[in-house]
Amino acid sequence: MIPAEFEYQAPKTLDEALRALGRHGDEAKILAGGHSLLPMMKLRLASPRYVVDIGRIRGMDYIREERDKIAIGALVTHAQVTTSELLRAKCPLLPETASEIGDMQVRNRGTIGGSIAHADPAADYPASILALDAEMVVQSSSGKRTIPAADFFVDLLTTQIRPGEILTEVRVPVKRAGEGTAYKKFHQPASGFAIVGAAARVIASKAGQIEDVALGMTGVGSKAYRATAVEKSLRGKTASESLIAEACGKAAQGIDPLADIFASAEYRREMASVFARRAIISALEKAMGRASSPSKGAAPGKTK
Amino acid sequence: MAKDTNGYNIIGKPMAMTDARAKVTGLGKYADDLSVPGMLIGKILHSPHAHARIRSIDTSQAEALAGVKVTATGEDARNPYGILPIGHDERAFALGKALYIGDNIAAVAATTPEVAERALDLIRVDYEQLPGWFDPEESMKASSNWINEERPQNIEKEYHHVFGDPEKGFGEADFIAEERYYAGEVNQAAMEPHATLAVWEPDNRLTVHSSTQVPFYLHRTIAAVCEMPMSQIRVIKPLIGGGFGGKSEIIPLEVAACVLAKKARKPVKITYTREEVFLAHRGRPITIVYLKVGLSRAGKITAVQARVIQDGGAYCGYGPVTVLYSGALLGAIYDIANVQYDGFRVLTNKPACGAMRGHGTVNVRFAFESILDQLSHQAGLDPLEVRRRNLLKAPCITANSLRVTSYGLPECIEKVFERSGWAEKKGNLPYGKGVGMACSHYVSGAANPIIRSNMPHTTVHIKIDRDAAVTVYTGASEIGQGSDTMQVQIAAEILGVSTDRIKLVAADTELTPIDLGSYSSRVTFMAGNACLNAAKDMRDQIVAAVARKFGCAADDFEVKDGRISHKSDAGKSLSFDEAVTVALEFHGALVARGTYAPPETARGGKFKGAGVGPSPAYSYSAQVAEVTVDPETGQVRVDKIVAAHDCGKALNPLTVEGQIEGSVYMGFGQALQEDMIWKDGRLMNPSLLEYRIPATKENPEIESIIVESIDPEGPFGAKEAGEGSLAATIPAIANAIFDAVGVRINSTPITPDKILDALREKQKLASGNGANAANKPVAAGGRL
Repeated sequence: MIPAEFEYQAPKTLDEALRALGRHGDEAKILAGGHSLLPMMKLRLASPRYVVDIGRIRGMDYIREERDKIAIGALVTHAQVTTSELLRAKCPLLPETASEIGDMQVRNRGTIGGSIAHADPAADYPASILALDAEMVVQSSSGKRTIPAADFFVDLLTTQIRPGEILTEVRVPVKRAGEGTAYKKFHQPASGFAIVGAAARVIASKAGQIEDVALGMTGVGSKAYRATAVEKSLRGKTASESLIAEACGKAAQGIDPLADIFASAEYRREMASVFARRAIISALEKAMGRASSPSKGAAPGKTK
Repeated sequence: MAKDTNGYNIIGKPMAMTDARAKVTGLGKYADDLSVPGMLIGKILHSPHAHARIRSIDTSQAEALAGVKVTATGEDARNPYGILPIGHDERAFALGKALYIGDNIAAVAATTPEVAERALDLIRVDYEQLPGWFDPEESMKASSNWINEERPQNIEKEYHHVFGDPEKGFGEADFIAEERYYAGEVNQAAMEPHATLAVWEPDNRLTVHSSTQVPFYLHRTIAAVCEMPMSQIRVIKPLIGGGFGGKSEIIPLEVAACVLAKKARKPVKITYTREEVFLAHRGRPITIVYLKVGLSRAGKITAVQARVIQDGGAYCGYGPVTVLYSGALLGAIYDIANVQYDGFRVLTNKPACGAMRGHGTVNVRFAFESILDQLSHQAGLDPLEVRRRNLLKAPCITANSLRVTSYGLPECIEKVFERSGWAEKKGNLPYGKGVGMACSHYVSGAANPIIRSNMPHTTVHIKIDRDAAVTVYTGASEIGQGSDTMQVQIAAEILGVSTDRIKLVAADTELTPIDLGSYSSRVTFMAGNACLNAAKDMRDQIVAAVARKFGCAADDFEVKDGRISHKSDAGKSLSFDEAVTVALEFHGALVARGTYAPPETARGGKFKGAGVGPSPAYSYSAQVAEVTVDPETGQVRVDKIVAAHDCGKALNPLTVEGQIEGSVYMGFGQALQEDMIWKDGRLMNPSLLEYRIPATKENPEIESIIVESIDPEGPFGAKEAGEGSLAATIPAIANAIFDAVGVRINSTPITPDKILDALREKQKLASGNGANAANKPVAAGGRL
């Protein structure tokens, strides 16, 4: 389909962009990589009067270490995240997550800021952003504020960002000693979105004593969330297969799972447990300093 | 030029397609790339209701919009049409009733697409909604509110065939299996959406450029709908970006563009959106198969009974042919004496289904090869061995009067047996991994034309003039399958020249003789034979002229290595160019002709419905799929498919392999992912974002094996290669899933949730019996 008519603006600086947003209020939508907004406009699910393309603003595609945080400019593409040596060394969960997004074309064009601000319930980043306790920096013509991940996602396609504000930076913590992370995903075969995505961050001793655990889930409900019931069941415990399996049974506790033509609510709930467990085990193994076991596929010792 | 073992210079050697450069560089012109001065853009208004009476249509506001040239409704073109003579139930635009969400109600032609879109919003239609029929098994019980008043109980057509003595056959069976199979609906999803440019010419003729597999049928239909003589209409097929049967009948936009062009007296182009491609559809119907098969302890199939219900959508289309193919090719791949077939083509308020790749055979093959696997296990026999024990002894006539002249299936089976490592793998892989096998077959063109006549099915002309270029004029439609290249190869081989000497003019009703079209895999066999005959005619004319010049008999000469030479007198030899000059001196421009019509003996039996299924030759395929199933999620990964296809003779091994791979991919898509999802007649996934065509990353590795049975009547022994391999892929995967995790999924697509449900059901049964605990799927991984 053809999108409804709109006015296109391409500011060259952040200030220009903020002024444009200030003028148009909620009649404007921000375009970055275009991978979320344009399909919605073509389907006429969104018909903004103004499209403010921030893609030409220079200096918003940095990845840099700032004390114990890594600051990522909102225009950094998924491909840049995937290949960043800094992130791979100091926050490997993010590159692992980014590498699972869509396909090569999407990763080359789509941006971290665009994806997070869009808050698609099946997007990959939100799970990891939550598990990492990341911070989102937003700016408007009246100033700058920082929103913690736990508060950021409000509902389906809705965040704390207000009209007139632009998400300019994402800040993630540098990996601690004894920390392991993993992102496990069930891909929707056509779109590549997550039917279920589980991002786990585990801090544990070599013996498997779990000091802390964070589990971000995406694809399951109307927004990404922290599976606090799972976390509570594991925190302070010594890891075992059965403990993790039992805990991960609560991965969708209190969540009203989405249902669509690909996966029913019941199936999503079940997959939430499976992928939560796989993510936790993988993260734990890394935390304990073990190589990830080839647990996918055939189970050993079963006969037909 | 190097010759192969058969002495051919060109035949049997891989050759890039003649249009490859144009396609790869993007310079080739598809219908939507065409543009002429003054061209208008057409858009179609589709019904928002699945079943509704149309009380009135008001186009006045749309017509008043600046930039709108004309509008059209059902009143502008009342003549009905349809691909089958027995199914003329479509019109340019709905008259009286809308029969599905997406049915064609009206159209506009305007100066820009934006104006045309806006104009559609201004057309006022007053509908009276009627209850809709969406489930075929419910629809066929309808006592009133029929979709088409001339089709009582919403049954488009039913056929009942009995061959041999099925009752006796079941009596002789040691094992009988009875199952219900369900195949979801799939669309061709060709890369190129349909497009038509209809040009009203200054002399009141009409030139139609359209994305069609059947320019000749389009030509006839436009003449009937627009009430113009065929002589005033020219149909040209440009490059086609894939057909797969989705362009093998008349598609509504083709008619709409012509009606608008005639009314506006201007050129009009319509291009479908992807959503409209799904709504025009003509894909593979939802098919329900109730199948019963008997097997003896020795592994011989004793009887087959099938009741097949196809959900055809709101119009006839190819429907009766589809349901007849399902019956005709159900058992004819094996030696089965006793077959009962009851086939029903049912109308529902959904887009019309059509002749998708593997027409009519795919869903019944899924059922048949699945039940055969099941019966083999019941009997404690290797399913591959069971196939070996049920082979035809060709040449032969099958129980339903199909003439089989060449039969490479035994070799296909042996090839995949060896190359897949079947003997080591079957039943021996760890839990979660498995192999499965299945066979399939297909026609090399229909022996009986859609419109009965005594005319050839295809004619090819070849012309040579003073530039010594060899021009082949063929009506056959290149749709990406290699039709053009195949004819270039044949003409070059026979005339002893290189392929770049051959020019090919194809599928233009003003320039080329008629070919019935690119459907039912008929082109290589039929147009190939016509081209072969035309090239031989040309060769004979040239040789005769050379012989006459030397005062010898034509029989004394042979065409060899680009020369026409006396067999025993080396001094009497001319190059091709010299020979052409000699022939031109005698005749002026040289013109040759070749035709093809299937022999009487290939045309099948005499019973009602016997006309569909007969073919001059059949292709065969055997496949082994190897899969990994994740028992926790139900996800299936197809690791490899080994596919052997008997195409008679691979004229161009490169394109044959491409066709085998394409067929397997398409079968793989239907097996695991592709499904049109309906809710009260509304398609829930009319986009490629939600309708899941397999992409490179999930496509399995394919090993293609060409088997050459050398058919006695095919051109150089060739048969079809483009469709026959598709059907085996689906049951091969289903059977491999059974081998991997022990559950049978009898409905496609085989989605993860179906596998998980079946595993759970199996676990419940196992624990209920308190037995076979080893069989139950348990979470992966040991202690940490």
